[in-house]
Amino acid sequence: MEAALIVPLLAAAVQSGTPILFATLGEMFTERAGVLNLGVEGMMVVGALAAFLTAQATGSPWLGLLAAGCAAALVGGLHGVVCLHFLGNQTVSGLALTIFGVGLANYLGTPFIGQRAPGFEPFDVPVLSAIPLLGDILFRHDALVYLSFLLPPLFWLFWHRTRPGLALTAAGEYPRAASAAGLNPVALRWAGILAGGFLVGLGGAYLSLAYTHLWTNGMTAGRGWIAVALVIFAFWRPGRAMFGAYLFGGVMAFQLRLQASGTDVPSSFLLMLPYALTVLALVLSALRGRGASSSAAPAALGVNIEPEG
Amino acid sequence: MLGLTVTRRMEPPRWGSIFIFPVALGVSLGVSCLLLAAQGKSPALGLEVLWSGAFGAWYTVEDTLLKTVPIFLCSLGVAVTFRMQVWNIGAEGQFALGAVGATWAALTFANLPGALLLPLMFACAAAAGGAWAAVPAWLKLRLGINEIISTLMFNYIGILILEYLVYGPWKDAGSHGFPMTSQFVPAAVVGHFPGTRLHWGVALCVVCAVGLWVLLTRTRPGFELKASGESLRAARYARMPYNTLVLLVMALCGALAGWAGLLEASAVTGRLQPSLMVGYGFTAIVVAWLARLSPARIALFSFFLAALRVGAENLQLELGVPAAFGGIMEGLILLTVLAGQFFNGYRIRPGGAHR
Amino acid sequence: MTVQPATATPPPLVRLEGIGKSFGPVHANRDITLDIHAGRVLALLGENGAGKSTLMSMLSGVFPPDSGTILLDGAPVRFQSPREAIDAGIGMVYQHFMLVGRMTVAQNVLLGQDRGLFVRPRDMERRVGELAGRYGLDIDPAAPVAGLSMGERQRVEILKLLYRDSRVLIFDEPTAVLTPTEAGQLFAALRRMTGLGKAIVFISHKLEEVLDVADTVAILRQGRIVDTVARQAVTSRHELARRMVGREVLLEIERAEAPLGGAVLELEGLSGHGLDGLDLTLRRGEIVAVVGVAGNGQKALVDVVTGLAAPAGGEVRLQGKPWAEFFRDPPWNGAVAHIPEDRLGVGTCPELDLVDNVLLTTRKGFAPGLFLDKKSALGATRAIIRRFHVAAHGPEVRARQLSGGNLQKLVLGREFFRKPRLIVAEQPSQGLDVAATEEVWHRLLNARMQAGVLLVTGDLNEALQLADRVAVMFRGRFMAVLDAAQARDLEKIGLLMAGVDAGAPRA
Repeated sequence: MEAALIVPLLAAAVQSGTPILFATLGEMFTERAGVLNLGVEGMMVVGALAAFLTAQATGSPWLGLLAAGCAAALVGGLHGVVCLHFLGNQTVSGLALTIFGVGLANYLGTPFIGQRAPGFEPFDVPVLSAIPLLGDILFRHDALVYLSFLLPPLFWLFWHRTRPGLALTAAGEYPRAASAAGLNPVALRWAGILAGGFLVGLGGAYLSLAYTHLWTNGMTAGRGWIAVALVIFAFWRPGRAMFGAYLFGGVMAFQLRLQASGTDVPSSFLLMLPYALTVLALVLSALRGRGASSSAAPAALGVNIEPEG
Repeated sequence: MLGLTVTRRMEPPRWGSIFIFPVALGVSLGVSCLLLAAQGKSPALGLEVLWSGAFGAWYTVEDTLLKTVPIFLCSLGVAVTFRMQVWNIGAEGQFALGAVGATWAALTFANLPGALLLPLMFACAAAAGGAWAAVPAWLKLRLGINEIISTLMFNYIGILILEYLVYGPWKDAGSHGFPMTSQFVPAAVVGHFPGTRLHWGVALCVVCAVGLWVLLTRTRPGFELKASGESLRAARYARMPYNTLVLLVMALCGALAGWAGLLEASAVTGRLQPSLMVGYGFTAIVVAWLARLSPARIALFSFFLAALRVGAENLQLELGVPAAFGGIMEGLILLTVLAGQFFNGYRIRPGGAHR
Repeated sequence: MTVQPATATPPPLVRLEGIGKSFGPVHANRDITLDIHAGRVLALLGENGAGKSTLMSMLSGVFPPDSGTILLDGAPVRFQSPREAIDAGIGMVYQHFMLVGRMTVAQNVLLGQDRGLFVRPRDMERRVGELAGRYGLDIDPAAPVAGLSMGERQRVEILKLLYRDSRVLIFDEPTAVLTPTEAGQLFAALRRMTGLGKAIVFISHKLEEVLDVADTVAILRQGRIVDTVARQAVTSRHELARRMVGREVLLEIERAEAPLGGAVLELEGLSGHGLDGLDLTLRRGEIVAVVGVAGNGQKALVDVVTGLAAPAGGEVRLQGKPWAEFFRDPPWNGAVAHIPEDRLGVGTCPELDLVDNVLLTTRKGFAPGLFLDKKSALGATRAIIRRFHVAAHGPEVRARQLSGGNLQKLVLGREFFRKPRLIVAEQPSQGLDVAATEEVWHRLLNARMQAGVLLVTGDLNEALQLADRVAVMFRGRFMAVLDAAQARDLEKIGLLMAGVDAGAPRA
C-alpha cells in the first residue's frame, strides 16, 4: 500500500478514534475512583443529543459541547445516587443506565433525525500541519481532536501530581484507608462519576458536532461499549488508552471503507477486534503474571462503600 | 450525612419486597408521563395506548406472550447464574449463538423430516449457546478473568458472528441484498398451537421452568448450587464442587438462551436475520434481578416486561412515540428497584453523629 | 502486688480510671485502672480474650467505654471516632494495615495531610525521609507500598502516626506479622521513640518480647488487671506466666475411661504453610488438645488435617492412608468431621433452613443417585434436633435464628451423624454459656468412643478438662506434647505458650 492510501486512513483513524478516546478516558476516570459505570453507551448518546440540540438552538458548537458534558454527567448522577447512596449493585445499575440512556436519547431525538446543526470544522494547525506525513495525519482536524491530544498527558498529571488525584486514587483503591486519613470517599467517588461522565459526554458531542453535523438514531453504534473494553485493555493507563482508541478508530474507519467498496464479508471480523483483543489482553496478562490485569485494576473497583456502624 | 443515621438490618423487612416493585413502577410511569408531556403528547392517552397495546385484545396478548417466551428462557438461565454469584451478562450473545447453531442445522440438514430435524436444531442451539457461555466460565475458573467483562465482550463477538454469517456465507441469494438467510424449510419451523399464533415455545417454557425447579429443589447438584451461592466459605468447607457448578450453570444459561434464539429464528421469523437481536438478553438481566430465583416470579416479570415492549410498539404505531420509550421505562424500573432494595438491608433514622 | 519504681515519676500522660465495657452478657473489661507514661513502654500481657484489644480499642477511639474515664494530660476526654483520638495524639498501629498498595510510602504517609493543588514527590519523599531518619525507621519513602515486606509496611503505619504528632502509640501484637529480625528492628525503633518522649503501649502474649522491650508490664486476665509490675521487679518469668494463665478453673467435668483404638491421624514432620515439623499420633478413643495463642499455626494445621491444604513436607496419614489418597474422594461418612471455629460463616449457611444445613455435609448420604431424599433428610434433621436438644421451633427455621449454643449443637449433631473416625473441633465452646459448654463437652467426650478428637482451642481450661494429651503450639511447632497430668502445671503451659522452652533452666 502506498502512502497515499495509508495517510488518509491514519488520519481517519485519529478522527474516528477521538470520540472513543474521550469516552474511554471518562470511564477510566470514574473507574480509577472506584466506580464501575457500564452506562457509558447511554451517557454518550445523551451527550450527543444534548450537544446537537444546544448547538442547533444557540448556534454555538462550544455551548453544545458544554451541554453534552453536563447532560452526560447528569445521567451519570443517577448511577451515583443508586450506587453511592443506595448501595445498588454497580454492574446492574450501569446496565440499567444504558438501557435508560439509549432509550431516552432515541426518544427525545426522534423529531430531529436528519436535521443539521452548526458544528466544528477542521482547520490546519499553522506550522505543524506542514510536517510531511505526520502533519497530514495529526494536524488537519477540528478543535476537539486537538483538545483530545492534550487529554492523556493532563489525565496523567492530574492523577499522579495533584492532591485531588491522589485522594481519588485512595478512594478507588482502599476507601477505608481514605476515610481513616480524613478524606470523604463517597464525595470523592461522586467527583469521579461526574467528571468522568462529563468527558464521556464530550465524546458523544464529537459524534454529532464534529464527526458528523447531524443527528440520527443510534449515533454511538456501540462505541460506549468499546470504551468500557478499552479501559481494561489499557490497564487503566491514559497513554495506552490513546493507542487503543486510535487502533479501534482505525478499525472502524477501515471497515467503513471496506463496506463502501462493496465487500462486506470481513467487516464483521474487523469490528470484533476491540472485544476480542480485550479478552486476549486479559488472557495474556493472566498467563504471564497470574492476574496482572486484576492487579492493574483499582482494588476497590465495583465495591460499594458500606456505611460504618 | 444529612443528619440521618444508617444502620444495618438484621432481617429484611417483611413488607419490603412486595412494596419495592409497585413503587418502582409508579416512579417509572411518572417520569414517563412527564416525558410524554414534554413532547406534547397526552400522558393519559399514552398510558391507555400502552395498556391496550399489550392487553387490549386477544391478539395483543398473543404478542405479549410471544415476546414473553424468549425473555423468560433467558431470564431463567441468567437467574440461575446470578444465584451462584456468577455475574453472567452474556445472555444476548448466547441467544445469538443459539440462533446460529439452530440455523446451521436447519440449513445443513434441510432434507430431514421435522421429527429429526427439530430435535437436532434444539441440540445444536443448546450446544452453541452453552459453549459460548462455558468459555467465559472457564476463563473465570482457570485464569481468574472477571466474567462481567468477558461475557460482555462475548456478547458483541457473538452478535457479529451472526451478522457475518447472515451477510456472508448464509445470505439468501434471492433477498436482494437484505441481510437474511433463506426461509427455513417447514420441517425446521417450530409450529403453532392450532388456532393461535402461539408456538410450542410456550410449552418449552413451562417444561424448562418445571425442570429447573425440580433440579434446584430436588437434586443434589441443585442443592449444592443453592448452598454455594449462599456462602462461598461454607461451600469450601463442605467440599462443594464449585468449579463444576460454575460451568454447569453457565452452560445451562447458554443452552436456555440458545433455545430462546432458536425459537425466535424458527418460530417467529422463520429465518436468521440481524433484526432478531432486540435486546432480550439485557431485559433478562432486569428480570433476573427483579425476580431472583422463583420461576413463578420470573414468569411474572418476563410477562410484564414483554407487555411493556409490546405496549411501546403500540405507542409508536398510534401516537408516533418512538419505541425507544420502552427502554426508558425498563431502565428506570431497574434503577428504582436497585435503590429500593437498599431498604432491605438498611434502616434510616433521623438523628446523626455517633452511633 | 504492685511495685512502685524507685525514682519519682512525672504524672501520667494518659490515665484510664475504672474503665469497663460489656458486649451483651460478656464483660470484656472490668474496672480497669492504668497509667501510661511518656517515654516508657507499657506492655499489656494476657491470653486470648483477656480484654487487651478491647481496652486499647477504647483508648484509640473505636468505641467509647461503658463506664470509667480516660484522662489525657489530666483532663477527661471522650473520643467519638479514631480520628478524634488521632487528633488528640493517640494512635494505634493495627495488625491489618490501611495502606494503598499502588501509592508510595511518602504518598501514604501524607495522604489527606498536605495543602495545595500540586504534589511534589521529591519534596514529599524528603520530608518523610527526614521523619523516618529521626526515629531510626529504615524505609525508602519512594518505594511503592505493594512491594514492601510486612515489617516495612508496619513502619509506614508508624510514620503515619508520627507525622500526625501522636504522643501515644499503641501496637496490637505487632510481631505477629514480623520475622525475628524485623521484630528486633521494631524494638530498636520503639526505644528511639520513647527516647524522644513518646509513650508506647505494646499488646502481646509473648513473654520473651515483653521482657525485652517493656518498662512496665500490666497483666490482664478475664477483663481485669491482675497485676502491674515494673520490668526490673520481675524476678521470675514463671511468676508472670502463672499470673497470665491463672489458677481458677471455671468448669469441671467427669471423664470416663475410653478404650484406645487404632491410629486415626499420624503426623510425621509435617511442614509447610508456616508449620515446622509436627509429629503427632492421634488414636481412636483419645482427645488431643492443641493449645496456643491464635496465630501460631493452628489454622494451617486444621487446613491440612481437614484436607483443604496439602502438606508441603513430611507425611500425613489418615486412618492409615496417605493424605493425597485419602482426600482424593473422601467418603461422606466414616471419615473426617470438622467443627469449625466460625459456626455461622463457615459451618452453616445462615439463610438456609436446618434441613439444608444438615444436608451441607451429609448430602451424599441422602442422594445415592441424582435426586435428594428430602423426606429422609427431614427425618434425620428432626432426630438430630431431638437428640442434641437443639432449641428451635422446627427444622424450617433459618440457621441464623438459632442461638450460638443451639447452632453449635446442630453442627455437632450433623457431624456426628456422619460417624466420623477423626473429629477436628476448633474452639467448640467459644461464645457459649455454661450450660451449652457442658453439653458440648459431654458430646465430645462421648464421641471418643468411636473416634479420635483433635481439639484446637485457646481455652486452656477446655483443653485440661477434655484432653488426654495436650500439645502446645508456638510458631508452627509443638513445643511439647504433655499428658493430662503434666498439663495441669499451668506455669509450665504458660511458658510453653509464650515460646519459652520449659526444659531450659532460666530465671
